[in-house]
Amino acid sequence: ILDDPDLKDIDPTVLKHCHAAAATCILEAGKQKADISAISTCLEDCKLDKERIEQFCTEYQVFKSILTYLRRSPLHITDVSWRLEYQIKSNQLHKTYQPSYLVTLNVENSDSGSHPDVSFSCTMEQLQDLVGKLKDAAKSLERATQM
Amino acid sequence: KLNIGVDTIQHGVEGLTYLLTESSKLMISEIDFQDSIHVLGFSDELNKLLLHLYLDNRKEIRSILSELTPKLPSYHSLEWRLDVQASSLASRSLRQQIKPAVTIKLHLNQNEDQTAQVLQTDPSTLLHLIQQLEQALGEMKTNHCRRIVRNMK
Repeated sequence: ILDDPDLKDIDPTVLKHCHAAAATCILEAGKQKADISAISTCLEDCKLDKERIEQFCTEYQVFKSILTYLRRSPLHITDVSWRLEYQIKSNQLHKTYQPSYLVTLNVENSDSGSHPDVSFSCTMEQLQDLVGKLKDAAKSLERATQM
Repeated sequence: KLNIGVDTIQHGVEGLTYLLTESSKLMISEIDFQDSIHVLGFSDELNKLLLHLYLDNRKEIRSILSELTPKLPSYHSLEWRLDVQASSLASRSLRQQIKPAVTIKLHLNQNEDQTAQVLQTDPSTLLHLIQQLEQALGEMKTNHCRRIVRNMK
């Protein structure tokens, strides 16, 4: 902003204050999940003129989508399903005779609710690795909560 | 250098490929292999050579063929991290809630691509996951499964 030719006549300190104020405003509005009318009302109370309010709201719409993205939390695992299979044959390869596990993690998205589950296959050794690591996490969690 | 036409060589290579791939796919025994190529009328020396070629490369050919079967993404590895959720961006509640959570990065392979997915879970679900998956592992050791494996072979 400090390099913008249109703004070079304004005192840099004032510019910084304005920038900070605008940023804070946008962030707070995002936190509150405020809609346009609420923001307008608030700005009216601050004695901003109509044109300025309209401009601000238009710009805010742009930021709203970014804020929604930031607020998104990772997918939450709610449950697990597993299936043990024994493969005997495929059209590419006969006599395979291999057990394999099919694991599905049921996940939930905090925003939209449903989400396709995460499924994968693994061998017994791989499942042992997976369970081992989950147990490490659980042990670590237990130690942390005891502190 | 061999002084044979290109077509002949191409047919030769294709024939050889087909022979080895089919034999490996079906996992035929030595005797069956020998009987099969006997009808081609080659010399004993050549037959022996072909047999060795089959036995030496069978394992590798089979592992390549196994890549062609329909597959789901397969497990590669997993990383985990303990998190404490103090408060989310959306809430400005007066009380700060400390919520422990486990963040997991699941690495999967799908057709030579590796994907990483970030997931999260709470302590009680984590314990449930462990219990369920340990049960899954235990299945292979049950008499039921052992019997099936024995009878299949």
